[in-house]
Amino acid sequence: MRSFSGWLGVLGTGVIWVALLGPVIALSTHLSWSAIKSSLSAPGAFDPLVVSAESGAITLGVLLLIGTPLAWALARGTLPFPRVWEIGVLASLLLPPLVIGLLLIFLVGPYTAIGQLLSHFNLSATNTFLALVIAQVYESAPYYVLGAQAAFASVDPALEQQAALLGDRPLRVFRRVTVPLAAPGLAMAMAIAWARAMGAFGAVVIIAYHPTGLPLQIWTSLQETGLPSALPFALVLLVVALPLPIAAYFWSARARGRRRG
Amino acid sequence: MLEVDVEVDRPEFTVRANFSVAAGQRLALFGPSGAGKTTLLEVVAGLVKPRRAVISLAGKPLTSTTSPVIALPPWRRGVGLLRQDPGLFPHLSVRDNLRYGRTSAGDGDEFRRLASTLGIDGLLAAMPARLSGGQAHRVALGRLLLSRCDTLLLDEPYTGLDASLRRTLTELVITLVAERNVPAILVAHELAEAQAFADQLAVLDRGAVLQVGDPGEVVQRPASCRVAELVGYTAFVPADDGTVAGIHPDRIVGGSHPALGQVLEGEVTACRPAGVMFELEAAVGEETVTARMPGPASIGQPLVITATDPPIFWPGGAAIDRAAIDTAPPLELTSPETPPFEVGE
Repeated sequence: MRSFSGWLGVLGTGVIWVALLGPVIALSTHLSWSAIKSSLSAPGAFDPLVVSAESGAITLGVLLLIGTPLAWALARGTLPFPRVWEIGVLASLLLPPLVIGLLLIFLVGPYTAIGQLLSHFNLSATNTFLALVIAQVYESAPYYVLGAQAAFASVDPALEQQAALLGDRPLRVFRRVTVPLAAPGLAMAMAIAWARAMGAFGAVVIIAYHPTGLPLQIWTSLQETGLPSALPFALVLLVVALPLPIAAYFWSARARGRRRG
Repeated sequence: MLEVDVEVDRPEFTVRANFSVAAGQRLALFGPSGAGKTTLLEVVAGLVKPRRAVISLAGKPLTSTTSPVIALPPWRRGVGLLRQDPGLFPHLSVRDNLRYGRTSAGDGDEFRRLASTLGIDGLLAAMPARLSGGQAHRVALGRLLLSRCDTLLLDEPYTGLDASLRRTLTELVITLVAERNVPAILVAHELAEAQAFADQLAVLDRGAVLQVGDPGEVVQRPASCRVAELVGYTAFVPADDGTVAGIHPDRIVGGSHPALGQVLEGEVTACRPAGVMFELEAAVGEETVTARMPGPASIGQPLVITATDPPIFWPGGAAIDRAAIDTAPPLELTSPETPPFEVGE
């Protein structure tokens, strides 16, 4: 039987939960089927969804490839001056996305060394699909790296040593011990990075106005035709971005539960 | 045969050791916490880099810092290490943990026999989180034995387990070491545990091996005052010719028996129960002597006891051969700073 203070705690927590869910609740109460139907039945209405899903998937692949080794090295403290590396990752997390977009112009814009190198291969890092992926990578990378670092740090190095003593080479230890034990945390880091990539706007609006992904479509709909026509795209963004984090959450919980027997 | 000759730098001191353990032999490294025992095992396992080392196992060089330089990685050394934390993989069942080092082991005869011997055959489907401390240690031991390692290193593996389980596991390891005919080393900071396991006992202190020998011999005849302190001698009372006698609480009989050893007279200053015995503290001259006796005593009561055949030392220094004293002039004093034994002696 819960005490009065217990019920008070539940009530307080519930208020906070509802307040945090406020925007989602507002979205569901302000959407009408007719608005959804008319917005999504327009020619090319699903193009932003396809662009966001494709760029998000590629972003996730890039993060896995470049973020995982960095996260592992940060977690194991194998790098010289580890704090400097960590501060670097934190700095990119602290920069407002809009500023990241501005600075990316100086880094990969058409008049920079990288921009000119890309132009040799008929590529451009402004207003292209590549630019969208770059903007999403910069916006979501710190979330993945810091999450993956925490996941790897939770793996006891003594277990990895034990696996090595039982005959496993380092790569096999990584595959048989490190990754399975870090997997729940890695899954959550990936899910958060995916959600960040799908919702990336600040850097995207500066260097990748075209091709149009979902966040930019919401912005342009709002600017051109008003709130009612922007809301259906917000729903689509939620529907596309949310399943992976939710699935990752349940999978992580199940994996942890299985370990508890 | 495991042959170890190493020097490892640690912040406080350098760990130096030179010993060998024959196939089927059991060596216990005994000493206080922080003496360098675990460091030695980790160097043998290839987990810690030594400053200087020559280590070989069954004729196979594992580490050599002299030319040709050799540093086999842990996965190629054939060294099994069992720590205080059993280190079971939490994402694998007991069966998969057991088979980790040798996936080909399957559920064959050897697997089933070992699981049965260890008493874990009913737990094969369980996850490690469900196991008790004793069960987890047995699984870790089984995993080590199934991996067919060429030597067993046990780093205080029974800490936190009850006395009965310790005895069972110790007997099991002794049997299995004999069956497998592999060298085994146990690190212990409890003397009884080291004695129960080993046929050779090495006493370590601040990185130095102070004495190696038969466990009984080391306890009965410690090579120096420091070794005596470490194996349980609690007082050093004046003896003949400026020497001191080591007094062990369990090597005392009540009354005056000059033929058995050194007679001590004093006054009881404390008395407390210690298992089925009573631990008395008595002021003997300037020393406080502890003795375990079958009956209690009152504070202030006069006490006459005999320390049976006590080891004799130069104060703070090396042990003296009593027979040699009787026939030879007194030995030169050994400086307390000088190690009484060379490494590995």
